[in-house]
Amino acid sequence: MNHTPTSCAALWVAACLISGCRESHPAAWERLPPKAIVAQADSATAARNAALEPGLLATIQAIPVERWKGPGERPFEVALRSAAPEAGHSRMFGTITLPIALRSRTAAISQYPCTSCHLGQKVVMANKRIQDAHNNIQPVHPDQTGAVCSTCHSDDDVALLTLKSGEQATLDESYRLCAQCHFPEAKTWAGGAHGKRLDGWQGRRVVMACADCHDPHNPVVQVRIPFRAPQIQRPRGHGQ
Amino acid sequence: MTTDRTAEAQTGPEDPSLLQKRVDRRGALSILVGGLAAGAAAVGACAPLSAETDEEREVKLLAWREYIKGNYRVMTEEERAETIARLERLAQLQRGVDVTIQSTGAQPGVLFGYAFNVSKCKGFRRCIEACINENNLDRNADTQYIRIFEIEDGVVDLDRGDATFQHEVPAEGHFYLGTQCFQCADPPCVKVCPVGATWQEPDGITVIDYDWCIGCRYCMAACPYWARRFNWGAPEVPPEEVNPNQHYLGNRARKKGCVEKCTFCIHRSRQGRLPACVEACPTGARVFGNLLDPDSEIRWVLANKRVFRLKEDLKTEPRFWYFSD
Repeated sequence: MNHTPTSCAALWVAACLISGCRESHPAAWERLPPKAIVAQADSATAARNAALEPGLLATIQAIPVERWKGPGERPFEVALRSAAPEAGHSRMFGTITLPIALRSRTAAISQYPCTSCHLGQKVVMANKRIQDAHNNIQPVHPDQTGAVCSTCHSDDDVALLTLKSGEQATLDESYRLCAQCHFPEAKTWAGGAHGKRLDGWQGRRVVMACADCHDPHNPVVQVRIPFRAPQIQRPRGHGQ
Repeated sequence: MTTDRTAEAQTGPEDPSLLQKRVDRRGALSILVGGLAAGAAAVGACAPLSAETDEEREVKLLAWREYIKGNYRVMTEEERAETIARLERLAQLQRGVDVTIQSTGAQPGVLFGYAFNVSKCKGFRRCIEACINENNLDRNADTQYIRIFEIEDGVVDLDRGDATFQHEVPAEGHFYLGTQCFQCADPPCVKVCPVGATWQEPDGITVIDYDWCIGCRYCMAACPYWARRFNWGAPEVPPEEVNPNQHYLGNRARKKGCVEKCTFCIHRSRQGRLPACVEACPTGARVFGNLLDPDSEIRWVLANKRVFRLKEDLKTEPRFWYFSD
C-alpha cells in the first residue's frame, strides 16, 4: 500500500522515459485560450512544478466559479489551498477561499496523452464512434441523458473539460464540471463532509477532487470484497 | 492449575526457580536495594551468569528497570526519556526492530473530535486493515479496534447489526456503521481503573500506560461501547511488519495481560496528521479534526449536518458523531 520513496522515484523515472517521446506535444494547459482566467496559469505552474519533484503532492490554486450561486444567491468561488498565507481559514462559500489543496491529476497523464490521437481533431462522438477506440468507456453518466464524449470533454481538445458556460477547464478541475449539477455534494465537499482528506487535520489540507475517487464515466462506487472479517466469539459482533 | 500446585508441593521451596517466580513487586524492590545485579538475576531466567552473553545480560537489566519504573503520568521528563530509551533498546535486542517511541504531549487548544458518515461507508473495512498495520495490533489473536456493522436499512438498533459479514459490499438494502473508541469526555473506563493506568489527556484522548495496567479488565466491563481489547497472550507482530513510528501511549509493543484500545492514532494526530483509518477510508466517510477550531472540518459537520451519538442517555459524552448525507 505504501510506496517507498525509492519505488516512487523509480516509477516516476520510468514514466518519464516512456513519455519522453511525447514531450514535443504541448501540454493541455498550455493550449488554453487566452481568455482563460489568470489563476489558471498558476495552476499550470503548480502542476508542472509538482511533476518535476516526484513524491510531492501537487497543490493547485482553484479558479473562482462565477456562475455558481451559493446561499443567498451570492456567487461563490471554490479555491483550493495554496501555500499563500492570505488564503485564510474559512471553508465557506461566498467570496472566501478554502485553505485546502487538491491532488493533481493532469500531471499524471503522461503515458498516453489524449493529444497523441486527438490533436487538432474535433470530437464527433455524438454521431459516430470509432470502433475499438475507448471501447472500455461506456459513458453511463449522467444517466439517461444520452451522454456522449462531448458532454464533458471539450470539442477542440479532449484533454480539457467543457463547462456549460462555454469555459474550459483542465482535468484537475473536475469539481467545476461536476458541481454544475451536484450542488449539495459540492457544498459538503468544500465544507469537509464529502471527499477524502489526506495529509493532516492541521494546517495543510489535501482534498481529492471528484474524479480522483469517482470514475467519471461510471461514478457509482462499485461493489468489492471487504477486508477480512473479525473473529468474534460473541454473537452479533460485540467486543472480543 | 491443579497440576501446577501439585508440582509445587512436590518440589517444595528448595527449588530455586520457584523461589524466583514468586518475587512480587515489594520483594523485588528489597532485592534491588541489595544490588542491581542480584535483582537482574532474580527476574531473569535461571541460566547461570557465566553462560550469559552481554546482550542477554543487558536485556535482563533493561527488563528489570522497566519492571520497577513508575506510572507514565507522574514521570518526570528525564524518567520518560529513560524509559523510552530502554524500550527502544529492548525492541532492538528482543525483536530486532529499530523503533522510535515518542512522548509527544497534547497540543494546547486542541480537542480531537471524529465524525462518521453512515451514508458514505460501504463496509470495505480498509480502515481496519490500516489500523492493524499502523497500531501494531496482535496478528495472532487478530485484534481489531474498529468494528463495521452491517445494518438493515431502517433499523437503528446496533444489536441487529452484523460485524462479521463477509460478502461483496455494499449489500443491497443495508447501511454500514463503524465503531471504535469514542474518546468520551466523561469516560467510565477511567473511573473504574483501580490503579490509575488509564486517563484522559488534555486533547481528549483516553490513553493507557500498558506497563502500569494490571489486566483486571474493569475498564472493559465499564465501557458501554465495547471499545477496549485485552491481550490474552503476548501480541505477535512479524518484525518486518512492525510500524516503527510509535508513541508511548499508543502503538508501542504491548505485553501479555494488558488492555489496549484506539487512541485516534496518537502518534499521528499529535503531529497534525490524520488517523490511519481516516486516511485509508476509500469513501471519505471519516472526518477528523480539532473541535476547538471553528474552521475545522469536524466543526463544519457538526454545524451543518444532523448528527447523533450512540447511547447518549449514558452521558458519557462521546467525541464521535454519526451523520448522513
